[in-house]
Amino acid sequence: MNLVVQTLADGLVLGGIYALAAVGFSLIFGVLHVINLSHGILVLLGAYLALILSTSLRIDPLLTMPAVMAVLFVVGYAYQRLLIQRAVDRSPLGSMLLTFGVALMLQNTMIWVFSPDMKSITPGYALASFKLGAISFDAVRVSCLLASLVMLCCLAALLKFSALGRVIRATAQQTLAARLCGVNVRHVYALTFAVSAAFAGASGIVIGIILPFSPADEGTWTLNAFVVVVLGGVGSPAGALIGGLLLGMVSTLTAQYIGPSFPNVTMFLLLVLLLLVRPQGLLGNAFAPSR
Amino acid sequence: MTLHSKKATRRRVMSALGAAALAAPAIRSAHAQAKTIVFGGSVPLTGAAAETGLNVNNGYITAVSYFNDVLGGVEIAGEKYKLELKLFDDASDPARATTLIQRQIDEGTNFFLGSFGSNIVLPTAAITERAKKPMVQTGGGSDAIFTKGFKYVFGMYPRATRQFASTAALFKTLTPTPQTYSVIWTNDAFSKTAGQGVKLSCDAAGFKKLDEFELPAKPTDVSSVLGSVRANTPDLLVCVMHDQDSLLIARQMVASNTNVKCLFQGLGPQLASFREALGKYSEYLMCSTYWDESVPYKDKFFGDSRKFVEYYKKKFTRPIAYHTAGAAACIETYILAMQAAKSTNPEAVRDALSKADYETFYSRIKFTPDGDGDAIIMGSMIGQVQKTKLEIVFPEAASSAKPLYPQPMWDKKA
Repeated sequence: MNLVVQTLADGLVLGGIYALAAVGFSLIFGVLHVINLSHGILVLLGAYLALILSTSLRIDPLLTMPAVMAVLFVVGYAYQRLLIQRAVDRSPLGSMLLTFGVALMLQNTMIWVFSPDMKSITPGYALASFKLGAISFDAVRVSCLLASLVMLCCLAALLKFSALGRVIRATAQQTLAARLCGVNVRHVYALTFAVSAAFAGASGIVIGIILPFSPADEGTWTLNAFVVVVLGGVGSPAGALIGGLLLGMVSTLTAQYIGPSFPNVTMFLLLVLLLLVRPQGLLGNAFAPSR
Repeated sequence: MTLHSKKATRRRVMSALGAAALAAPAIRSAHAQAKTIVFGGSVPLTGAAAETGLNVNNGYITAVSYFNDVLGGVEIAGEKYKLELKLFDDASDPARATTLIQRQIDEGTNFFLGSFGSNIVLPTAAITERAKKPMVQTGGGSDAIFTKGFKYVFGMYPRATRQFASTAALFKTLTPTPQTYSVIWTNDAFSKTAGQGVKLSCDAAGFKKLDEFELPAKPTDVSSVLGSVRANTPDLLVCVMHDQDSLLIARQMVASNTNVKCLFQGLGPQLASFREALGKYSEYLMCSTYWDESVPYKDKFFGDSRKFVEYYKKKFTRPIAYHTAGAAACIETYILAMQAAKSTNPEAVRDALSKADYETFYSRIKFTPDGDGDAIIMGSMIGQVQKTKLEIVFPEAASSAKPLYPQPMWDKKA
């Protein structure tokens, strides 16, 4: 019994991290209809920035989150306005090819700047643990799960209650209507991308604390985000959370009860099944009803 | 004066041109004497294997630079040769690597150096084998490389299933003698066969296996495996996988307070970055290492290991790793074989490599008939992190410290 509970707890913690890493990807997919294949690069950029800032300023890596998010926000805005929008204007598939190319280039730039060596962000509490009854928890993973939940709630609130969120939702639901109402759609697209990049950066900090990372890992985080979004549904933090938690639980349950080498098999089997049965994901497209 | 001067200048120019014309054959001849031996291949400078790929690449560069710049080239059968590297980034991608190697074969390259990773070395070795061009490599240990009947590929390590023999021998010397072991590997060409090697060697040494776990090639969470380890705790936990995955396991073991009497990680603790990331928790961890600055071998060209390291440090700031030394030894082995063969003919060099028995700064070099390193002569040493440094604890002849066993619990290290 303890083993089942422990496995479920581990799955929830892992899933929360997957969710945070995927939410930016989901938002861009939902609003801009762009599959951002450079998403993993933005995640890693957040991890590297946190490493540099926390080491040079000697502060807790989680405290670097506002600065990292601000930098990624600016980078994301510029990236969308200067590159992605131009590709979207030319061809629907152009943005996919562009983000793939940018991912390749930036991965190599990261190797050049940061070296290909594995890095890790190791605050004093990085290896702490605690027990609740017979269940032991990795304290950092749990705190990262909490940080993920807080961030997802913040994003949900931003989308639901703020003026920016309303404009983003309006643009995603009816681009033409939003434009007729005077919304600068290109600016909204860039802001959406900027918010998504900022959240990707934040997830990078969390991931950097939990896992060793190197520039070669960018593909893993793009792929995970893609799976999470397909499972949970496009465009909403809730969809990302559901998809992430599902993915995390499936991974740990499979590893425990089928075999540690099988999580990827069950993950993609689930993906195929869901695409056949419910291709819009468990929560569907958050912006679809008005389309 | 000016005119005379001009005439004199013109005369001088004419004389110089004439002299140059007369000397041209001699210059051409001198130029012809400075022949070049080209070593082709690919290395992963980007992608998943780039960290170690860079170490391998630096080793190749160090050796070639030393032979050319310090020794002025190498003499083979009375002729002086310069060495040249033609290495390309394969991005840790076997498909890309095979394309690069095939192109170099088409362009006439005769001698090849290895990439890093059995998944790359194996397909590229198949191409060089078909073309009957030798490959000496320090990046692939999978059994598949050495059990396909290849005659032209040589490795600086024993094949993966033979690599663990020395570690099992060390385990037998520990007191109190460990009784049980569990093994974890990742699903890639090297780690899988290395895992089989662990089982073969540990079973032969009389240890009882409790569990074996195969992880995906790129794990992000090992909590369920560690749950099983806590439920059925072995004396020895052996992890054979690449550095980053070893670090993930060690970190999660600390965080989940999963304790064993000895954690052995094939790759990881030998890297300074790994030890830094784990801090005090890296103490007592054991790993394989194939070379250390303190090894006692004498070398015809470099002198010894310390001199090799001195020269390396003049060229690079990156910390030296055993893969760097192994890569430099690949080139030195080629040179020694060419000198023994008195030829730069690929087939003659291949024959000389198969009979190699040389002492280099890296190790004594002797290959099995299948091309992998002799398991006794070129087998691994065992390192253990002690006071933040990696000390050699086995074999006794090369050891710089005694092995510490059992390892304390993680919370005692805090």
